[in-house]
Amino acid sequence: MTVVDAADDHSNILSVTGISKSFPGVQSLKRVDFSAKGGEIHALVGENGAGKSTLTKIISGAYVQDEGEITLNGEKVFWSGPGDAQRAGIHVIYQELVLFPELTVAENVFINDQPLTRLGIIDYHAMARRADDVLRRLGAQIDVRQRVKNLSVADQQMVEIARAFIGSVKVLILDEPTAVIFGVEVDLLFERLLALRAAGVAIIYISHRLEEIFRIADQVTVLKDGVRIATLPVTEVDRDKLISMMVGRPLTDIFPPRRRDQSDAPIILRAVGVNVGSRVKSASFTLRRGEVLGLAGLVGSGRTELAQAIFGGLPFDSGEVEIDGKVFTKTSPRTSIAEGVGLLTEDRKGEGLLMQLSIAANIAAPRLRDILRGPFISPRIENGIAAKEIAKFSIAAPGPQTVVAGLSGGNQQKVLFSRWVRTCRRVLLLDEPTRGVDVGAKVEIYRIIRQLADEGYAILVISSELLEIVGICDRTLVMCEGAIAGELIGSAISEEAIMAMALPK
Amino acid sequence: MSTTVLAKPKLVSHRVSRVVERNGLLLFCLLLTAGAAIFAPGFRSPNNLQNVLTNAAPLGVVVLGQCLVILVRGFDLSVASVMATAAVVATSFDYSTDWSVIPILAVSLVMALVVGSVNGYLVTQRRVSPFLATLAVMIVLQGIRFAWTKGAPSGRVPELIRMIGSQAIHSVPINLILLVILAVFVGVMLERTAFGRKIYMVGGNPRAAELVGVNVNWITFLCYVLSAILAALGGLVLVGYVGSVDNWVGRGYELNSIIATVMGGVSLSGGRGSVFGALVGAFVLTEIFNIALLLGFPVQFQWVVKGVVILLAVAVYLRADRSR
Amino acid sequence: MTYNHITSISSLPFLFWQRFLNWLGLAVVIEIVVIALLFVVGFLVSEHFRTTGNVADIFEQMTGLAFVALGQTVVIITGGIDLSLDATIALTSSLLSGVVNGRADLAAPMIVAVLAIGITIGLVNGALILTLRVHPLIITLAVAAVIQGFALLYTLMPIGSMPDGFDSFAFEHLFGIPIGAIVAVLLFGLVGFILIYTRLGRRIFALGGEPIAARLVGIPVNWVVLFVYGLSGLCASLTGIYLVSRLGIGNPTGDTNFNLASITPVILGGTPLTGGRGGVLGTLLGVLLVQTLNNVLNFLDVSTFYQWMIQGLIVIAAVSIFVEKRRRVA
Repeated sequence: MTVVDAADDHSNILSVTGISKSFPGVQSLKRVDFSAKGGEIHALVGENGAGKSTLTKIISGAYVQDEGEITLNGEKVFWSGPGDAQRAGIHVIYQELVLFPELTVAENVFINDQPLTRLGIIDYHAMARRADDVLRRLGAQIDVRQRVKNLSVADQQMVEIARAFIGSVKVLILDEPTAVIFGVEVDLLFERLLALRAAGVAIIYISHRLEEIFRIADQVTVLKDGVRIATLPVTEVDRDKLISMMVGRPLTDIFPPRRRDQSDAPIILRAVGVNVGSRVKSASFTLRRGEVLGLAGLVGSGRTELAQAIFGGLPFDSGEVEIDGKVFTKTSPRTSIAEGVGLLTEDRKGEGLLMQLSIAANIAAPRLRDILRGPFISPRIENGIAAKEIAKFSIAAPGPQTVVAGLSGGNQQKVLFSRWVRTCRRVLLLDEPTRGVDVGAKVEIYRIIRQLADEGYAILVISSELLEIVGICDRTLVMCEGAIAGELIGSAISEEAIMAMALPK
Repeated sequence: MSTTVLAKPKLVSHRVSRVVERNGLLLFCLLLTAGAAIFAPGFRSPNNLQNVLTNAAPLGVVVLGQCLVILVRGFDLSVASVMATAAVVATSFDYSTDWSVIPILAVSLVMALVVGSVNGYLVTQRRVSPFLATLAVMIVLQGIRFAWTKGAPSGRVPELIRMIGSQAIHSVPINLILLVILAVFVGVMLERTAFGRKIYMVGGNPRAAELVGVNVNWITFLCYVLSAILAALGGLVLVGYVGSVDNWVGRGYELNSIIATVMGGVSLSGGRGSVFGALVGAFVLTEIFNIALLLGFPVQFQWVVKGVVILLAVAVYLRADRSR
Repeated sequence: MTYNHITSISSLPFLFWQRFLNWLGLAVVIEIVVIALLFVVGFLVSEHFRTTGNVADIFEQMTGLAFVALGQTVVIITGGIDLSLDATIALTSSLLSGVVNGRADLAAPMIVAVLAIGITIGLVNGALILTLRVHPLIITLAVAAVIQGFALLYTLMPIGSMPDGFDSFAFEHLFGIPIGAIVAVLLFGLVGFILIYTRLGRRIFALGGEPIAARLVGIPVNWVVLFVYGLSGLCASLTGIYLVSRLGIGNPTGDTNFNLASITPVILGGTPLTGGRGGVLGTLLGVLLVQTLNNVLNFLDVSTFYQWMIQGLIVIAAVSIFVEKRRRVA
């Protein structure tokens, strides 16, 4: 893919060159160049994990880059913290708003800079007046004396934007701003953004909603796997071309062959109309014995919540889960485990492993009676079981009593696998099974998954890596904004097809 | 959503902090004992040693309970009050026969059960912080006790309890033997039963424990109940040692037991530590006070020592904890 | 330009008094009602209750608690807690009466010194909390132990005395109200003013509500922490001074139990332990409520021991009802 540059223009307000950043186990950005011109809306797109968030945090001073430079208005700059960038006029509106819910709108807008009277005390009148001014200029009608916690999320977002505007703003970065607002509020936001553009502000707009990009952006940059793929004027691309740029990568031969049609196998798990707050809306699907079902979708589309709700880690508001014929209107981890359903969580350190315990203890955790002899735990039985699993999954560790905190990510994941595979023999819900795992271990895990399916397990795989879904799933569901947007079977599963369904309309 | 990652320099290398946490206390204990044997007048006398052990035993019993609660990420400030209440119970019955020990035990245990249940309920069902919950319970219990004794507890302790609390067999204090028995019981429970394993799981990662089917609330609740029961037993042992009861029996034990447990390597963030470590902590703490006295420091100096020890323990252990 | 007024949570028509009550807050309103009820009960129970002498009594008794509750309120708003109150009171009160020992020329300097000591203890608390990064609960308890040790090392028993006239702080009345109480109320007003009308005050709330966000927006957290604990230390030493004025002598044993007692009025006043909101008015009324309750119970011949119990029960009830999110240790 050739890298296309917009004409090199000296009216670039912000310019970053050669930015690289890596975290333990993953190279987040690889020598990325990016620039934003004043009076222009520049969109930034890419899959989950493409590096958009990291790039934003480097530009705004929350992270420090490993290599590369940031140039602002022609001068090289270096941020020692977000405060520096803010003072220089770079403001980010993150998806998680940085607000103080108990304080009023006016106080939030002026949180670190309250206007004072001549006597040195806070001038609430002036503060309210000025906050009101800013908000009106931005086109919002918000009661500045209200507590922020009483506002709608859209209004809260407006408050944060207003806060950015009490100073001078050179660069405004918006990270998924329309994730939480709809309809008329989106229109309003766009009006304001266009006004800001006219005023010469450089706006960087990160979003998954491609039609918005076509609506207001002038330029678009595509990131993929930490690399800048292209920067083009919006007029020169269309939706399909964007998607293929976001997704296209050479296929490598790392997946075991897929099974074909599983539609005659018995249904082991069925979810009917599951609702989880605002995160999952009336999701229904079936899972058959021996099949590997993928669950794809963007971050925040509700996949993890659905899996957790089925397992019982999260309560669901309505709906049913049927396991091998038995119907449950409420699930709990204990009943799920008893019914042979296991959940390998997305966050293995936070929700999966007991980090300070041994491999053996972690493996035995869901069903302690396996290692009991009489009323007491038998170390012999415990270690015996663990030793078997270590051999079976080729876990690289000195012994069964090794504390899991000392293992590599791949081996930790294998410990979790062995825990669930031996305890729950019907259904395995795997949430991001290869996250933070090196390539070698990934291949092993794919092999394991396929083998388990062959042995009769019903497996649900949640993954943000489209390649994975395409590679190992017999069938895939795609979630979008809490609902199941579509299903792809067999050879119909492709990265483009998934993306097309995953992106909001 | 990704979070801002700010690199935190490790203050102490991983290996060193692990060694410190595992063996530091034992090393310190040995050093202290050796140093005291050399420098502190009278430390070496068998009488003094026996004294220290007898002194440490009641604390040890309470520490066993505190250990459980701290392991599940809480702590119990009501132990001192429970001890005192048990002491009051011990002196409230007809002391002329030894059989009065039975009602004493029964009443104390029931009292402990109730107190522990209230603590457990507040912490698990009402989501009150352990600090506030156990502190409030402590005060309420104190009030009940004051009302019952009209502010002036009195009475004699039955002979059996006196004997257990202060006598020795072949210069081994009986209350120490009792402590060892209880310690073995609690220790085995922690290390070798499903219940104990679940305690470590709940303390180490309550969410992960929940997701493997553990009833986190129930386990936590039981720990508070056990803590109260052990505190009551500790109170009986203490009153046996002291021989009489007053308003301030057990004063300071809530703080002392927490310090001893933390010093013993039981992490305040839960899921880590052992009964053995906590007991060594109890012994070391008592030893420190003993040495201070032998060196001529006034009794009040204990307070200063306590405060400094907490700060040091916090600085060392919680730091080591963080660098994980 | 017109501004919308604070929106009411109910759907009833918009009356002035409704807006006012809303502004006061639910807790304050409840407190006022309860206090009024208590007064009614008191009136009915005993003639003596109605006397101005008794009312003055209530104010007199609540002054000591009022000071520490004030300091505790501000600390709790930042999401912390100060448990070194009893120790600070022990040290400051005994040093005051012990050093002065009746000599009038030493009184004023010692008062200043003692206030300085209180502030210093508070600053030490704050500094340790910032550097050791451990929950204030543990830090203030540890510091309390050390300070308590110093107090007991200084003297085991109450010692010393104050010159004549010193007791006027506690006992002298101005327009029928004890001077001590007036000072306390003024101090409440001052701190309340700071909380609402200064940047520092707003930062205190910001820090309590969202400590992470506070750092992210650049609030100088360190200064805020040092200030609130220093203030709490100052308030503790004020209570120490007040107690000396009232009792004539300092008490080094630290059994004043203000650590817990100071928390009750704060919670009753609507300031949650998790911080981020609340205020001093609620606390002031909370102190009045607790004291009035004790007073009425006295008249009802309920022994002081039950009063202890009731205090604890009130705390339990208050925290059970206003269920808060359990705070993660920062």
